[in-house]
Amino acid sequence: MMRCNSYLSKVCLGVGLLLAAQSVVADKPIFELIIRDHLFYPSELVIPAGQKIKLLITNEDTTPEEFESYELNREKVILGGKKTVIFIGPLKAGEYPFFGEFNMATAQGKIIAK
Amino acid sequence: MLLDIIVIVLRETLEASILIAVLLSVSLSQSIKFSWTPIALLAGFAGAVIYGTRLGAISEWFDYAGQEVVNAGMQLLVYVLICILIPLQWQSRSISKGMMRLLLSAIVFIALIREGGELYVFYTGFLQKEEVLVGALTSGFIGLAVGLSVGAIVYYTLVVREQSQAKLLHGLVLTLVAAGMMVQATQLLIQVDWISAGEPLWDSNWLIPESSVVGQVIYAIFGYEATPSLVEVWAYSFSIAGVIMVAALFSQYCKRHSFISKRASDV
Repeated sequence: MMRCNSYLSKVCLGVGLLLAAQSVVADKPIFELIIRDHLFYPSELVIPAGQKIKLLITNEDTTPEEFESYELNREKVILGGKKTVIFIGPLKAGEYPFFGEFNMATAQGKIIAK
Repeated sequence: MLLDIIVIVLRETLEASILIAVLLSVSLSQSIKFSWTPIALLAGFAGAVIYGTRLGAISEWFDYAGQEVVNAGMQLLVYVLICILIPLQWQSRSISKGMMRLLLSAIVFIALIREGGELYVFYTGFLQKEEVLVGALTSGFIGLAVGLSVGAIVYYTLVVREQSQAKLLHGLVLTLVAAGMMVQATQLLIQVDWISAGEPLWDSNWLIPESSVVGQVIYAIFGYEATPSLVEVWAYSFSIAGVIMVAALFSQYCKRHSFISKRASDV
C-alpha cells in the first residue's frame, strides 16, 4: 500500500511538473516573421529583453530559406510554403541581426531587444 | 548572388570535408586502405537526398522541433562513434581494424546526410529558376573545391610519420571534433527549447568573429562559439570528459580481456 502511495505521489508530481512546464511554455510571448519575395516582414522585430520568446516564421515563398543569425546562435532551414518555430533569448538589450542564408542579398533583418 | 552561393556551399561542405580529412588521416596511420570511402560517400549522398526530400515532413515533428531533434540525434551518434574510434587506435588486433573501418564509414555516412541534406534543399530552390541553375551549380562547384582544399590542408597537417605521435594527435583532434558536435547538438536543442539556456557567458567576437573565415573553420573543427551559454560550456566539458572516460574504460576492458585469454591459453 505504501509503495502504491509512493508511486501515485510520483505520478502526481510528474504530471504537476509537466503542467508547470507547459504553462511556462505558454507564458512565452509569441512573435511572427514572414518571408515573402526573399524579404523578412517585419524586417525589425522588437522583443522584450531578458525574456525567452517563441518566434513563428512562415515562408510564403515557393523556394526554401535558411533563417540564420550568428548573434542569436540560430540556424534553421524553412521549406517553401512551410512554417516553423524557434525560441530566442533571454537576450540583453541590444540589436541582433539575422538573415536568410539562401538569399543574403535581400533577406536581412534584426531583432531589437528592449 | 554567385559569390553568396560559393559561400553557402563552402560553409556546408567545410565541416564534412574537415571531418573526412581527419578520418582519412586516421585510416592512413592505421594502414587501413581507403576502399571504405567510396561506399561511405555514395551511401552518404543517397542518404542526404532522402533526408533533404523528407526534411519538410521531419521539420513538423515534435511541434516543429523535428529538424533540430533529428540533427542533434545524428550529432550525438557521431559523438558516440568517435568515442569508440579513439581508443581502438591503440588496438593492433585485426578485428579492431575491421571495427574501425566500419566506424569510419558510419561517421562519414551520417556527417554527409546532415550537411548534404541542407545543400540538396538549397539547390531545389534553383530547380524553379532554370535560367540561374547553371550559374548556381558552377558557383557551388567552386565552393565545393575550396571546401575540399581546406580538407586537404587538414589531411596533410595531420599525416604524421611517427605512429605514437599520430595516434595521440588524432585522438586529440577527434576529441575536440566530437565535443564540438555535442555543442552544436546542445545549441539545436536550445533553439527549440528542449534545453533551457541563460544569457551568454562571454562574447569573443572582438577576438575571432564567428562569421569570419577563421571563425567558420574553427566552428567546423572545434564547434567554436563566440557567445556560449553556461549549458554549452558544460556540454563541451562533459563531452571531453566522456571521451576520456570511454577511452579509459575500453583500455581497462582490453587489458583484462587479454589477461583472461592469456591465462586461458596458459592453462
